[in-house]
Amino acid sequence: MSALGELRRIKGSTPPKQRNQNRAAFLFLLPWFLGLALVTIGPMAASLGLSFTRYNLLSPPRFNGIDNFVRMLEDERLHTSLGVTFQYVFISVPLQLGLALLLAVALDRGLRGLSFYRSAFYLPSLLGASVAIAMLWRQIFGVDGLVNTVLAWFGIEGQGWISNPDTALGTLMVLNVWTFGSPMVIFLAGLRQIPAMYYEAAAVDGASRRQQFWRITMPLLTPIIFFNLILQLIGAFQSFTQAFIVSGGTGGPVDSTLFYTLYLYQRGFANLDMGYASAMAWLLLVIIAAFTAINFWASKYWVFYDDQD
Amino acid sequence: MRGNLRRRLGVVAAIGAATTLALTACAGNAAPADEAPELELSDEPVTLSFTWWGNDTRHAITEELIAAFEEEHPNITIEPQYTDWAGYWDKLSTSVAAGDIPDIIQMDEKQLSTYAANGVLMDLGGLSSVLSTGDYPAAVLGTGALDGTQYGVPVGINSYTIIANRDLLDQYGVDLPDDETWTWDDFVDTAAEVAEASGGAIAGTQSWGFEDGGLNNWLRQRDSALYTTDGEVAATEEDLESWWEFLLEATKAGATPAPSATIERESGGLAESFTATNQSAFGPWWSNQVQALRDASGQDLVALRVPSTDGASDGWPYYKPSMFWSASSKTEHPAEVATFLDYLANSEDAADLLLAERGVPANERIRDYITPKLDDVNQTVVGFLDDLAPEVGDAPPATPPGGGAIEAIIDQHTQKVLFGELTPDQAATSFLAELQQALDDAAV
Repeated sequence: MSALGELRRIKGSTPPKQRNQNRAAFLFLLPWFLGLALVTIGPMAASLGLSFTRYNLLSPPRFNGIDNFVRMLEDERLHTSLGVTFQYVFISVPLQLGLALLLAVALDRGLRGLSFYRSAFYLPSLLGASVAIAMLWRQIFGVDGLVNTVLAWFGIEGQGWISNPDTALGTLMVLNVWTFGSPMVIFLAGLRQIPAMYYEAAAVDGASRRQQFWRITMPLLTPIIFFNLILQLIGAFQSFTQAFIVSGGTGGPVDSTLFYTLYLYQRGFANLDMGYASAMAWLLLVIIAAFTAINFWASKYWVFYDDQD
Repeated sequence: MRGNLRRRLGVVAAIGAATTLALTACAGNAAPADEAPELELSDEPVTLSFTWWGNDTRHAITEELIAAFEEEHPNITIEPQYTDWAGYWDKLSTSVAAGDIPDIIQMDEKQLSTYAANGVLMDLGGLSSVLSTGDYPAAVLGTGALDGTQYGVPVGINSYTIIANRDLLDQYGVDLPDDETWTWDDFVDTAAEVAEASGGAIAGTQSWGFEDGGLNNWLRQRDSALYTTDGEVAATEEDLESWWEFLLEATKAGATPAPSATIERESGGLAESFTATNQSAFGPWWSNQVQALRDASGQDLVALRVPSTDGASDGWPYYKPSMFWSASSKTEHPAEVATFLDYLANSEDAADLLLAERGVPANERIRDYITPKLDDVNQTVVGFLDDLAPEVGDAPPATPPGGGAIEAIIDQHTQKVLFGELTPDQAATSFLAELQQALDDAAV
């Protein structure tokens, strides 16, 4: 399965007899387009407008040019929040994808009860960003939490993992890695698409399992890895709930879990500085767009589409 | 990939969602009209929205109160909108932005001036034909006025206090200190003594520095204050430095728990605090929190006076209004709003339900009426506040617009001091700069 290759193939010109069907399709899509316009495009346009204003929510916004963006240059907490977010994204996403790939390959070996394991591993993805799990995380990594209890069995004295500035962000990364289920399921589907005959031919030629993995599995899986990478990067840049719950909304201890979106929220609602918060939202959009563009550019050099001519 | 695009835009959309509404609503946000409204009750059915923050106990009591009021005034329906403290201000500011201001608003001292300066709150002076404030001491009533305009009726009064757990003190053989003469050093010594006697099983005292009450008391003991009457920052770097310096000394002396334990509890709220879970002998709190702490702890908690530098308390203790009743400047039914506010402020029927849950009533007639009906815990709180009366000075100057950000600013700086990221003097400089910035940003 190569979703991107598939997309490219669809993009050609449309024969005339299909036009009527297209009209029906657009009609069916209308509710979705309306939703997009009303709850996404409209608010986005409004927030773009607000990013050039001073707006405290209580009085009408006042135009102040690019002031908000200039203030960002000197805002140390903004820079801290960018640092925290980049650390989080660039450490936890590769780890998460690595683990997802590892387990997908292991599960693909025709394990008995595959569907059970698949569901079990997928479950955390459904729960990962929820408030309940973030609350649970506080308990597990607390001073009297599960982690320290287990460590105590081995005579190791634990610490308050989420309340220590050196380890708090790490626990949130672990939480993100733990939600490896959704990329794993996509990897599994990708692995199933690789024709068995490649492996058979390689086995006949005397290739080891390891060689088969690096020479067949990995190259054919690169489009899926690329897809997962883009998806998880975008998601990780926008992480909010975990840090909000675990730090009680402060981004603490000592701003060590001050995610970008959390700081945006604080500026908007605690400081009643919604113009600045809107400007921050647009900076985040630009950052995410830039990283996505870099990824697409770099993909030329490492992503292999087997349907390429 | 389509879902993916939507996720990407999610953050932006969240911010935008509130603001689109806001843009459509801007037109209605002009300053309130000056002429006193005619207070004539309507014969038609009237619905008023009423918003407050609180816990489940308060929600239940307030719902009961609404039912009682509606029975007396069959054509008025009160529509309750309640939430906890954390979500309250997000919701209220968004409602205002959407042009949907609740008619009656439970307001906090730190936000009063911000909302008043933006024209959200009504001048309650215009309601005086219905809403009487005669039973309020002038000084207390004045805490709800800004530049002579009454924007809020004080609900209850509070004082800052050190709560001591008498059961824990007995258990570890430490005497309850004499709070009429104790100094800060006595406080830290006693706390360290308990911690040591327990062999580390409990902490001496909870740390402080996560809200402005403690700082206000510290400043007032130095003849200073957080703000001037003109709404400028009055606190000096020396004052703040000494405050954090003392916190570090207490930590070094073993009187307070380790910083990470403090931070962990701090983000868990009152229910997870050391005091509520009987894991510290002392803790700084507001007097209206005694009831909730007692309920959670189940042990014998008493409110003590705040220690001082020289063992004397003259003029620096103060009564803080726990909250205010305010009204929307945009309400279409000022007469009904006044009727309901009068019920909240002056009715004995309402007091029978409210008791001291929102603080000991600021209305003196109501306080006298209600005191015999209070349970033991709240009787002691009333007693504590009454005993303090001779030493109480004027309330601190009002928080200027934008000052609501102070809690987050204090919290961040105290964390940095506790974890050694900032020295007390660096923290003092940074704190004053950030507070000033918050005030400047809010200037209308």
